[in-house]
This record gives sequence, C-alpha cells and structure tokens, in this order.
Amino acid sequence: MGEEEFLEAQTSVSSDRDALVDAAADKIERDLILLGATAVEDKLQKGVPECIDKLANAGIKVWVITGDKMETAINIGYACSLLREDMQQIVITLDSPEINDLEKKGDKEAVAKASSASITNQIKEGKHQLSSSEGSSVSFGLIIDGKSLSFALSENLENSFLDLAINCASVICCRSTPKQKALVTRLVKKCTGRTTLAIGDGANDVGMLQEADIGVGISGVEGMQAAMSSDFAIAQFRFLERLLLVHGHWCYRRIALMICYFFYKNIAFGFTLFWFETHASFSGQPAYNDWYMSFYNVFFTSLPVIALGVFDQDVSARLCLKYPMLYLEGVHDILFSWPRILGWMLNGILSSMIIFFFTTSSVIHQAFRQDGQVLDFEVLGVMIYTCVVWTVNCQMAISINYFTWIQHFFIWGSIAFWYAFLVMYGAISPIISTTAYQVLVEACALSPFYWLATLLIVVSTLLPYFMYRAFQTEFNPMIHDIIQRRRLESSEEEEASVELFFQHKEKIASVKKLREQETLLSK
Amino acid sequence: MRDLFMDEFAVSLLVQELGLIIYQFTQQNLPACKPVLSPVWVVQIVYRYDVECVPALYRSNKLAYIKDNSIPKNCSKSLKIRWLPLELKICFQLVFMRDAHGFLANSKLMKAPIYIYYQLDNYYQNHRRYVKSRSDRQLLHGLKHHDLSSCAPEDFNHGLPVVPCGLIAWSLFNDTYSFFRGIDEMKVNRKNIAWKSDRDHKFGKQVYPFNFQNGTLSGGAHLDPKIPLSDQEDLIVWMRTSALPTFRKLYGRIEEDLDADDIITVKLLNNYNTYSFTGSKKLVLSTSSWLGGHNNFLGMACISVGVSFIFVAFVFMLIHVKNPRPYGDTTNLSWNWKPMSG
Repeated sequence: MGEEEFLEAQTSVSSDRDALVDAAADKIERDLILLGATAVEDKLQKGVPECIDKLANAGIKVWVITGDKMETAINIGYACSLLREDMQQIVITLDSPEINDLEKKGDKEAVAKASSASITNQIKEGKHQLSSSEGSSVSFGLIIDGKSLSFALSENLENSFLDLAINCASVICCRSTPKQKALVTRLVKKCTGRTTLAIGDGANDVGMLQEADIGVGISGVEGMQAAMSSDFAIAQFRFLERLLLVHGHWCYRRIALMICYFFYKNIAFGFTLFWFETHASFSGQPAYNDWYMSFYNVFFTSLPVIALGVFDQDVSARLCLKYPMLYLEGVHDILFSWPRILGWMLNGILSSMIIFFFTTSSVIHQAFRQDGQVLDFEVLGVMIYTCVVWTVNCQMAISINYFTWIQHFFIWGSIAFWYAFLVMYGAISPIISTTAYQVLVEACALSPFYWLATLLIVVSTLLPYFMYRAFQTEFNPMIHDIIQRRRLESSEEEEASVELFFQHKEKIASVKKLREQETLLSK
Repeated sequence: MRDLFMDEFAVSLLVQELGLIIYQFTQQNLPACKPVLSPVWVVQIVYRYDVECVPALYRSNKLAYIKDNSIPKNCSKSLKIRWLPLELKICFQLVFMRDAHGFLANSKLMKAPIYIYYQLDNYYQNHRRYVKSRSDRQLLHGLKHHDLSSCAPEDFNHGLPVVPCGLIAWSLFNDTYSFFRGIDEMKVNRKNIAWKSDRDHKFGKQVYPFNFQNGTLSGGAHLDPKIPLSDQEDLIVWMRTSALPTFRKLYGRIEEDLDADDIITVKLLNNYNTYSFTGSKKLVLSTSSWLGGHNNFLGMACISVGVSFIFVAFVFMLIHVKNPRPYGDTTNLSWNWKPMSG
C-alpha cells in the first residue's frame, strides 16, 4: 500500500510534487531503527582554495556561477574560502512564501510582477547594507539564485544589480542556466570595462567561456567540450594560478616592453635620417646606403627583440607565485602607460640627436686617418649606422633582466653581423654595392678614430637611460625591482635550503603513502 | 768538398750570429723599442682666399669676375709658418693641437707629409639630385655603356655622349695651387690621393674622357682625354661625394718638412665659381697623426662625458646618503599591504 502511494506521488505532475513525495515517504518511514549514516562529498580539486586565495591577493575578483543548489554553492564557497565566517551574506532569492503562493495560483503575470518587485527590494536592501557599513572592514558576499538572476539581469535592474555585485567581495550565482552564465559575464564585461576571464569544465560552461575576454577550459572528467571552445585549456583548476600569475605577468611585461622598444629603435634610426636632411638641404638624400636601411629591421635589430618578447623574465616563476601582487602591474597597466611610451620615444629622439651630432661634430672637416683621407658620404653613413646599431642593441642589453645564451647570441650576434654584412656587401662589385664598396675593409677598419668614436658615442647615448634606471630602481622602485633586490640580498643558500627541505618532506610523505598502499594491497 | 765548405760556412755564420746576440745581451745592448709618452700634435693652416684673390676692381661684382674667362685668375699669397699660440690673424689662421712653450724635440714644425686640402663651404654635394647624377657603369665601361638616363642633363652634348657624364663630374673643382719656398717650387705629390678601391675598381683603366665640358656652360675643370679615368685622381676624389655641406678634399701632399718661420708663397688659380651661391673656398695645409687631423672634439667629448658621469654619481651618492632606502624594504610586500578596495 505504501508503495503504491509513493509511486503515485513520485509520478504526479503538479507543483506539489515535492510535498506529496514527502508525505508518502513520511508514512513509510516509521518505527525504523537507525543503523548509520553515509555522506558523499563532492571534493573540490586539489589546490583550489589556495589558488583562489592567491588570485584574490593578485587583485582578481572571483565570482562563482554554478548550476548547483544554493546550499551546495554556499558550502563550496566556504570550502574555497570565497566566503568566510566574518563575511556578511546578502542573499537574493525568490524562494519566499508569497511568491510560492502566487506560483501555485498559476497567474504568470502576477508572479512576474511580484518577483520583479521583490528582487528590486532585495537589491535595494543589499545596497543599503553596503553603504551603511562603508568604512568598516566588513566584507560582503552576494548569493543569488537562478530565478532571481533572470529578473536581475533585465534591463531596468541590471545596472543596480551590477553596482551591488561589484562592491561585494565575492559573488555566488547558484542554479544558473548556461545562458545566464553567459549573460552575467557579458554584463560584467560591458558595464565595468574590465577584462574578464571565465574558467569552466563542462558543456554548460561553453557559453560563458566564449563570452568572456579569456576563456579557460578544464579538460578532463566532464569531457572535452569546455576545452575545445576555450582560449586556453588546462588540466586542473590550480594550474590557473600559474597561468595567470606567472605567464600572464611575464606576457604583459614582455609585450609592453617590446612595443615600447620597437618605437624606440625605429625612432632612433629614423631621426638620424632626419638630422642628416637638415645638412642636405632637405633634398631627400638618405644618409645610408639603401640596403643598410632595408636590413635594419630584418637582421641587425630584430632578433634581440624576439628574444625579449619570448624569453624575458623579470622575476622567476617561483617568486611570481610567491608575490601575487606583481600581477597588479598588469591590472593597473603600469608598464604601458602614456608617460612610459612617450618616455621611450623621447629616448629615441635624444639618442638619435646624440649619435648624429657627436659623429658629425667629431669628424666634420679634418682627416680621420693617418693617411690624410677625409670623411665622405659613405664613411659618415657607416659611422652613424654603426653607432645606431650598437646603441640600440646595448639598450636592449640594459633593458632586459634575463640573460641566457640565446640573448647573448642574438644581441652580440646582431652587432657582429652588421660588420660581417659590411664586409660581404662591400666585396660585391661597385655597380651593385655603390657607396658601400669596401667601405669597412678599406676605409673604416684601419682608422682608430672610427672605433674610438663608436665607443664614445655609444656610451654617451646610453647614459641618459642608464641614469634614469639607476635613479628609479634606487629611489622609486617598482614592485619587481624590490623583489629582485630582495632576492639578491637575502641569503640565497637559506632560501634554497628551505625549498629543499620542503621538497624532501613531500618526497618522504609520498614514499610513505606508497608503502601503505602496498601493504594494503598485499593484505 | 765544396758542399762541406758551404756547410761549414753556414754553421760558422750561425755561430757568429749567436755570439753577437750573446754579446749584446751581456753588454746590455739588445735592440729595444723605447716608447716615450709624448703628445701627438697636428698643425693646421686654414686660409680663405676666395675674397682676397679677387682684384679690388671686381670686389663688388665677383660673379662677373669669375665668369669672365679673359680676366687672369692668378693669385699669389704668402703664408708665414709662425709659432703663434692661440693668436688669430686676418690673413691666415693657425690652429694648434698642443701648445709647447719653449723646448721642442726638433725645430721642424710641420713634418712631412703635409696634406693639402681645398675646403668648400655651403656646397651641398650631398643633395639627392646631385648624388644621383652619375653613371657608375659608364665610369667602368666608358662608351660601351649607353644608358645615361641617370646623368641628365649632363648626358649628351651635341648629340654625342659625355664621358664621364653627370653633374658631379661636370662640376669638377678646378682651382690649382703651387707652393714656393723662396724661389724653389715645392714638389706637390698628386698621386695616391684617391682611395685605392676607387682607382682600381670604380673607374675603368680603358675609359677616356670624351666630349667632356664641351657644352655652352662649363661647370669646372677640363680633363685630359689622353689619360684614362683610373689615373684622373682629381676626378676620382671629387666624385666621391662628401657628406656635409662643408667639406675638404685632398689635393696633394708635400713630402718635405716645413720649418718654423718659413715663408711659403702660394700661387693659385682662382677659377672655381663659388660666388653665385655664397660659398667660400679655403686652402688647408695640415699634418696628421695616428688619429687623423686636428680634432679636439673627441677628447673634449670624452672628458665632458666622463665629468658628467662623475657628477651624476656624486649626486646619486648625496641623495642616497640623505634618503637611504633600506635594501629589501618589506613594506611593499603583499602581507604588509593594506587591503585593496574595488
């Protein structure tokens, strides 16, 4: 009898289904002896709480948008330290008795109206709570469920909802549909103008991943759909930490520095042509042989920039993870601000001025060799160009923080290639090489003046930037300067030994575990 | 027998040589290099003659003077080599690199070789159209090369091609200088003044001037049609275009020493027209050192850059002493930061 009733209740298609099932179950479950209890824990992946903690330290706001129930979502929030005991929770839900009554009646319009009104009120209340506790160090967590979200994302409410959400330390959206995941992401992206990153592992996250500026898919348990529709695919959630804090930071710095350096080196080169024109009555005569100019960006200065853009590291990966606020450099766009870009351009103009005017002033009339030969167009071109190539490459050497054999090879190799090129090009018939014919071999190489002038001019040109860097790192250091200095100053043996100790400990623990497993199996 | 004798002879020579070396060694008389740190100095004389050499009659209309071929262009000036530290005279300037009061190792003032240059001012040999106006192929191959489009308008004259064509060759400098010490003419070496690579590889050995300066407008010097281009050193030097609007070109060298208080008479022909564009002509005599000609810029620049380095380092030290920032300052590390908002 109980079974029939239960089945009927289970298969009923009314809004009271839950209540009917409860009542039927209640009738069955009487006079039972409790034997025990089991629990199932859907564990978080390894390392997730630490990862989220680090990201929060790096100035990244973390929101959770999940399809789970509210209780599950709140528990997950506590588990990964998004929600803490000392945080105040603002819960926006449509699970109130009035709304439920209206739903039972079935009047859709009335339900919608009442729901909208309720949500508006709740948002207002939440904002009120926020503003009243401004100044105190209380942080807020916002929890909103899927039904409410659909109203909160409507046009008239979305701005105030976003306002409320932005000012909370963390936001958890539960019971959300895939479409809502995408909509929330779009709202945040559009209204705050910040960069958004979405990370998910299931097919229901695809919309969100595509909508966000950066989509990171976790490949694995729930299939490959998320990974296939993402910009980056990683295997576990905790790898996000390394992706952002290490590679994100490095990439930001590399790209910012690379672009500034490109401007610098081309301005330094191009403006020497301009200064030459002031001495050539602006007739358009280039100061250099055509092929020198064509190869400037191909052979003589391109490889070091590639080395910078691909390999440069200001701090090591270990320190990037240890000091997550390095990431804030990118968030606040410190390394690519207008003053910095204009500063590099100014450096380029200044370098070109120093190179050109020092060269011409030092060799202006008199002989530059023992045999009495005077300067001509070809030799001046080679002198200025040599100084430019040296300066630009040595500037790279001063700017980068990370020297492997690749950087050495590219930088010094580019300079050496310039001389090799002069020799090779100058050996071709003068019909083709015109003004470069044997210019290094015959004219410049045997003139001590040429080499001395190069040395003097390169050193003088690099002086302003070098001064600036020295003063800046000493008296107004940026975060990575401090960290680099600290790494240098602190006893390196100490740090290394501490690391070794922890590695050793981990190893011992894992060996122990293996032994235990073996003994269990053998039993 | 004879071989034995030669061997003995060779051996005895060797022994003698060895004995000589040992003798020098024991007598402390080995051949040695004795470097002495002495300053290298260069003497330079710059003399502007383009105004002076115009006769008083034509001073107000120099252009007419220079264009008129019937007026003789000879000009004779005296230059006295005087040891005058830092004093400027109207007729000539003496510029010294080092001023030695009193004792000189030897009394010769300007040591051979003395280089003679002519200096032109405000002459834009680096103008694009001017630099373009030449034909390298024609310079190598002569009349065999026919495409003279880059040389226009100085490519054809009376229907015949001009060798060498182009504006650069057409405007060849044609003032000449000869130097006399007393009555004797000093020999001016006019060979080897151009770059060897130019002589050997850019100007053909079988190419002769043809139909050169045959037009109504004569731009400069005429060339001897019997001498091949590779031996026309004036042309080669002139065709290596200069870099800047003020430049010098090598005219020749004097292989004798000039003493202090020598009086040199320069007899020059003031042919070249620099009056139509406010250019000026100067005659320069200069010695050279391992570094080249008179050049104090490099030394001054080195010193000033070094001084500025020292100054900046000093300022750095002062600021550091006044506002020391402890190394590894930890106030900016994450756990010491105040919580960020927003």
